[in-house]
Amino acid sequence: MKNFFKTSILIAAITSMSLSCDNYVDIDPEYSIDADNFFKSASDYERALTGAYDLMQTSYLDIWIGEIASDNSIAGGESVTDSEGLHQIDAMTHGGVSNELRSIFRWMYTGITRVNYIYENKDKLEFEGKERILAEAAFLRAYYYFELVKFFGDVPLIIDKRLSSSEIASQQRTPAAEVYAQIEKDLTAAAETLAWTTTVKGRITKGAALALLGKVYLYQNKFTESAEVLDRVINEGPYELFSDFSTLFRVVNEGNSETVFDIEYVGIEGGGYGCFVCLEGFAAVGFHGIRGYEGPIYRDGNSYNLPTQDLVNEFETGDPRLAASILDIEAFKNSQEDPASVKYVIGGGGHTGFYNNKYIKRADELGAGDDDLTSPVNHKVIRYADVLLMAAEAHNRKASPNDALARQYLNEVRDRVDMDPVNLSGAALTQAIYHERRVEFAGEGLHFFDLVRTGRAATEIQGFQTGKNELFPLPQDEIDLAGAGWIQNDGY
Amino acid sequence: MKTKLLALLMTLSLVGYGQSLLKGRVTDENDQALPGVNVLIKGTSQGTVTDANGEYSLNSVTPDAIVVLSFIGYTPQEVAVGGRTTVDIKLVPDTKTLEEVVVIGYGTTTVKELTGSVSVVNGEQLTALNPVRIDQALQGQAAGVQISSASGSPGGALNIRIRGLSTNGDNNPLILVDGVPYSSDGLNALNPSDVESINVLKDASAGIYGVRAANGVIIVTTKQGRKNTKPSLEFSGYYGVQQTTKKLNLLTAREFAILKNEAFAAGGQAPPFLNANVGNGTDWQDEVFQNAPIQNYNLNLNGGSEKSTYSIGGSFLNQEGIVGGTKAGYRRYNARLNFTTELAPKVTLQSVMLYTNERRKTLAENGISSVLFNTINASPVATPYTSSGDYAFLEDVAEVINPLAQISNTFNESNVNKIVGKEELTYKINNNFELSGRAGYNYAIVDDKTFSPLVYYGSGKAQNTALNAALDPRTTEIATGVSIPIYNNVTETRTSYFNYNLEAFLNYNRTFQEFHKVKATLGASVFADVNKSLTGTGYNVPYNSNDFADISATDGTNLLNSTSSWQNESRLQSYFARAEYGYGSKYLLSALIRRDGSSNFGKNNRFGYFPAVSAAWVVSEESFFNTGLIEFMKVRASYGVSGNDKIGLFRYRALLGGEGVYPFNNQLVNGVAIGTLGNQDLKWETTKQTNFGIDLNLLNGKVEITTDYYIKKTNDLLFQPDISAISGAYGAGSSPPWVNGGDVQNSGFEFLINYNDVIGDDFRFNIGYNLTTIRNKVTALPAGVDFYEFGAFGVGGGTATRMQVGYPMGYFFGYKTDGVYQSAQEVTERGITQAGAQAGDLRFVDNDNSGTINFSNDSDKTIIGSPIPDVIMGINVGMSFKGIDFSATLYASIGNDILRNYERQQPLANLLSYKMERWTGPGSTNENPRLTTAANNNGVISDYFVEDGSFARIKNIQLGYTLPGTLTDKIGARKLRVYVAVNNLATFTKYRGYDPDFSTSSPVVSGIDYGFYPQAKTFMAGLNLNF
Repeated sequence: MKNFFKTSILIAAITSMSLSCDNYVDIDPEYSIDADNFFKSASDYERALTGAYDLMQTSYLDIWIGEIASDNSIAGGESVTDSEGLHQIDAMTHGGVSNELRSIFRWMYTGITRVNYIYENKDKLEFEGKERILAEAAFLRAYYYFELVKFFGDVPLIIDKRLSSSEIASQQRTPAAEVYAQIEKDLTAAAETLAWTTTVKGRITKGAALALLGKVYLYQNKFTESAEVLDRVINEGPYELFSDFSTLFRVVNEGNSETVFDIEYVGIEGGGYGCFVCLEGFAAVGFHGIRGYEGPIYRDGNSYNLPTQDLVNEFETGDPRLAASILDIEAFKNSQEDPASVKYVIGGGGHTGFYNNKYIKRADELGAGDDDLTSPVNHKVIRYADVLLMAAEAHNRKASPNDALARQYLNEVRDRVDMDPVNLSGAALTQAIYHERRVEFAGEGLHFFDLVRTGRAATEIQGFQTGKNELFPLPQDEIDLAGAGWIQNDGY
Repeated sequence: MKTKLLALLMTLSLVGYGQSLLKGRVTDENDQALPGVNVLIKGTSQGTVTDANGEYSLNSVTPDAIVVLSFIGYTPQEVAVGGRTTVDIKLVPDTKTLEEVVVIGYGTTTVKELTGSVSVVNGEQLTALNPVRIDQALQGQAAGVQISSASGSPGGALNIRIRGLSTNGDNNPLILVDGVPYSSDGLNALNPSDVESINVLKDASAGIYGVRAANGVIIVTTKQGRKNTKPSLEFSGYYGVQQTTKKLNLLTAREFAILKNEAFAAGGQAPPFLNANVGNGTDWQDEVFQNAPIQNYNLNLNGGSEKSTYSIGGSFLNQEGIVGGTKAGYRRYNARLNFTTELAPKVTLQSVMLYTNERRKTLAENGISSVLFNTINASPVATPYTSSGDYAFLEDVAEVINPLAQISNTFNESNVNKIVGKEELTYKINNNFELSGRAGYNYAIVDDKTFSPLVYYGSGKAQNTALNAALDPRTTEIATGVSIPIYNNVTETRTSYFNYNLEAFLNYNRTFQEFHKVKATLGASVFADVNKSLTGTGYNVPYNSNDFADISATDGTNLLNSTSSWQNESRLQSYFARAEYGYGSKYLLSALIRRDGSSNFGKNNRFGYFPAVSAAWVVSEESFFNTGLIEFMKVRASYGVSGNDKIGLFRYRALLGGEGVYPFNNQLVNGVAIGTLGNQDLKWETTKQTNFGIDLNLLNGKVEITTDYYIKKTNDLLFQPDISAISGAYGAGSSPPWVNGGDVQNSGFEFLINYNDVIGDDFRFNIGYNLTTIRNKVTALPAGVDFYEFGAFGVGGGTATRMQVGYPMGYFFGYKTDGVYQSAQEVTERGITQAGAQAGDLRFVDNDNSGTINFSNDSDKTIIGSPIPDVIMGINVGMSFKGIDFSATLYASIGNDILRNYERQQPLANLLSYKMERWTGPGSTNENPRLTTAANNNGVISDYFVEDGSFARIKNIQLGYTLPGTLTDKIGARKLRVYVAVNNLATFTKYRGYDPDFSTSSPVVSGIDYGFYPQAKTFMAGLNLNF
């Protein structure tokens, strides 16, 4: 009996010990931060915002595809299988299996997720300066969604939270109009909070938000709204055109008066081919470099994204922007004292004799490590010249046109490079603005999207099929992984 | 009260008879004294144990008494005194009895009453093979246990697979040494001669260990002393010489020159050798392989008093490498104490302490930069040394360096100090209840040191750390315009591994009405694993010399110096219950359940329940069972669930491990971002296993047979598959979450037979045979995933293996071939387009019947082999005649394929001599393609590179002689045995590579041979001396 008593106590002791300490296995990893116990200080929000900025640096694909898909350039490279997706886009034979398109889809959503992570936790802490952080984050989300909607049309709209795996599996594509509405909302909110200027180079400003908003309206043919917003940038903003177009894209002139929205790069970190999303330098620049080059000024690169004769022909005689935008390698070679000292090779991916002279690897602008990958040159996403020409187009094409103002804006851009003013109106002015956009922004990745949104792609781009190629196909793998039965874009 | 009365009555009843002193000597089959034998007068409580000389004496023994002798490992014997005053008795060893104790986790049972599938291996049987690691000896000893070497280098690990590959991740079983969890990597530290026995829980009965038991459980028990025995001292030692089990058939210089000239000519290039008469050239394998010594000495002291037992051991092992000698050496010291004592009546303390000091030096192995890879591919025309005696540069084969220089420049050393221990208190509450509490711990400090000197192997070699032969350092730009030299460096890492294990359990054991046997176990356990590591690298070691290779001697201000650290902790919390019922020894039933919580999983799935049931019917106990042939027959069945939580820590959580860097004001600013996405629903893999078995004893116990059939289904495999981009998982440093998805099934048949007999008085023999079949099949993958690809073939080549539904895990995926094109006409007339094909090229099979061999996608690739054997088997033979003993152990693996991946496709790399049989013209051969330096598709992954890896190996053969007791008595010894033995004497295989007995720790790439360090053939002589 006594033993039974003792035994019972022991059993009870063991059982209670084990039942009471279920939290024994509830431990946290040491010295590392968890996504769910973050946002405890203002600097946590600041750091999460920096994480959200990071994805903008994948924009080299935007430049390549925006040019290569248009009649402005060919894919180039070592062979026709070097970045095969670009060659397919060049030939308008692209389909849902494309590393490049899948990368854009993945990276833009990663940027969006990082913004949503901040918004999911926006009420955890109150502190001074939070509005500014949320406003910059809103801009970033708008930028990422605009990229997606520009490439793919209807895309799933996810805001203010991270998705669970079941939500991922049930997410449908959202109509582009709704995505645009969210973009407008985010940009409007960002513009309300942000200041025109910032002491920190690289931070998003009110001007960037309004200029992007004007561009977003323009892409939806909302010309009146576009004109109104862009006029604010022109009238209220601190911007003016930079005088010397030929050095506009150089590192030394970064942050000049024409800069409205730059994606910042530095070449100090190095990087490797294994992780393009990790790069802190601008990958487009080295890839645009002249293949096997030996000689002054430039450095050798991968001969990607080579301008066409068609683009060269677009420039008016005497337009200084031609030489500033396009390098004619043979002309350059022959202009040297000893032409034989300049050497280069022709890649198997194609050759036009021309290179992108705005974004090109130069001897005095090299990054660390593999300098094909790590250029310090910034990506100029929206220049003040773009604001002026977008405003000109909006005023010219809106329901009640203001061609006088449109002409004024257009001629301001032409005047900077000493080109004669135009004195056109109506449809002729529209064509003049289109022409001006092509030469002013040659090599900057805008032309394909300009052609599509103005309905000129089918006539300008060989192989372009109306009703199909306005949008790129959704990556086939993403359709397969989505789980909610997304339908591929028309024609693909 | 009852028992006391009984004893009193018995004592009284003895009074008055003619009683006298009885004495005698107990010996074993070799006439050696047996101390510690229990001697009991039957029907009484009167008894004693034999002393160190095997002698006993008992007072007041009646002439008609019967003496009962029992001793572990020997058949109990009853001897009638018959009026004698001196009775000498010889005990007969019992290799395996039905009464043998089997450890089943938190309790024991006997072979007879066991309901699960457990392999029992005697420690002595293993130690006799002189393994460096205990698992080396376990190979071929137990059915269902597949063991293969991960490296033949000294101190190299082995891969243990119990019943196939049950997961894509970590397949190592749970190993417990005296109840203390032991990682399979750390098994090096265990001295095999400290092992008393090994029990392998293979079926669902392993479920008593819950979330870690899916890969099976290996329970190791170390040696203990015995009560009431005088100290017995055992010494054993051997010295051996190792050599490689095989050298490859490589081309001699002359053959090489002829073949290379032919290949260059076929490629339209100038032949490299104007004169092919260049003799035999350098045999690089002769240069690299060497005879290497191995030696091992053990000292054990065992004994016990009335209340305590002790077993104390010490050992030393030193092994050099057959490649690299001391540069690949392994040295180990062990000390051990196993002490039990009765602290108070009914309270016993067991204290176990195992200390190990290890030092292991390693060379690069099993990969493209390994010493053997360089040895195989080095040109035989090149010489190892220059005329001035320096190591020659191997200029003619890019990326292949002089393997001798490589050995000389390699300095990797790892020192381990490890202590494993247990304190266990057992309180025997009464005849039915016993309470145990134990604390186990395992603490290891591992100090690694790697010295990377400035080296130069010739121009353009990737392994160069210096700029030139003068060993000038390279430079690196650390800031714009600022360059500094990269000197030699030394990296030191200290990692501590600590785990503790606290357990308490209550055992209940009672027999009601003589035949209702009830046993129950109830317990709780907590386990924590805490690991920490700190690494530092210092640059500029003085004189570029290993003698000064320590961070303390380096330049402390060098800007390249770096440090890093990591730490982690994981925990497990469990309780468990088991109930066993036996209706006599006829119907046996066991049921158990364990509840486990693992810190590797989130709150939603942290706790799991792992139940198992097993039952056995001892048919031979039935009255209707009446066959003289079979004296014991048991039918068993079990079913149960166990788990696997062996993935990285905190995989369920979204940690901020992502990279978020952006320049503000032209300076990089570090932000944060989510790294690997979290998955709160992540949980362990679950293995459901069904087992049926039959045990038979025939011919008076001379023959034992055990067979099992198992089906093991693992569900919810842990993977990290691609997911939808909208998850945001594809930023820098980010990755998709781990998920459960995918199933794999293993099934097979196990068979074991032992036969032992005595012919005449002195000739004893035993023969054991075991066989295991394995059928492995992936039965599901996560939704949306068609296959996973792994491994790499060739240099910069594509993947080599796949995991795919309907196929074995990690099967080889490539092109099938159908001979060699004999003529250009054959190429054109075949009707199938094979781009670039010429006469002499491999004819690939058009697997998808598209009319074209497609080299740019996978449409013509298919399964071309599997690394998983169909059957593995072991044979153990032993015999003794008077003092002479002989034993042999064989192991065979049949049906496994190996992917040959150690041949470099460099123009001037050496070749295996089978290339002499290359295609040279129509009709020359249909096996090997032509040799050419021109572009061709003969090097793509195909069944041409897949070889049958089946083999049979004589693992150990041994001849010993035990000196007669009369002689050993003179030196005061109980036993002296001397022996000679050979390990890995012969290997029978068609495999062309070094050693078919290899695998990698990753189950999905296990059959790819990257130039494996072969196991050694060891000739040894040794002795066992007992006092």
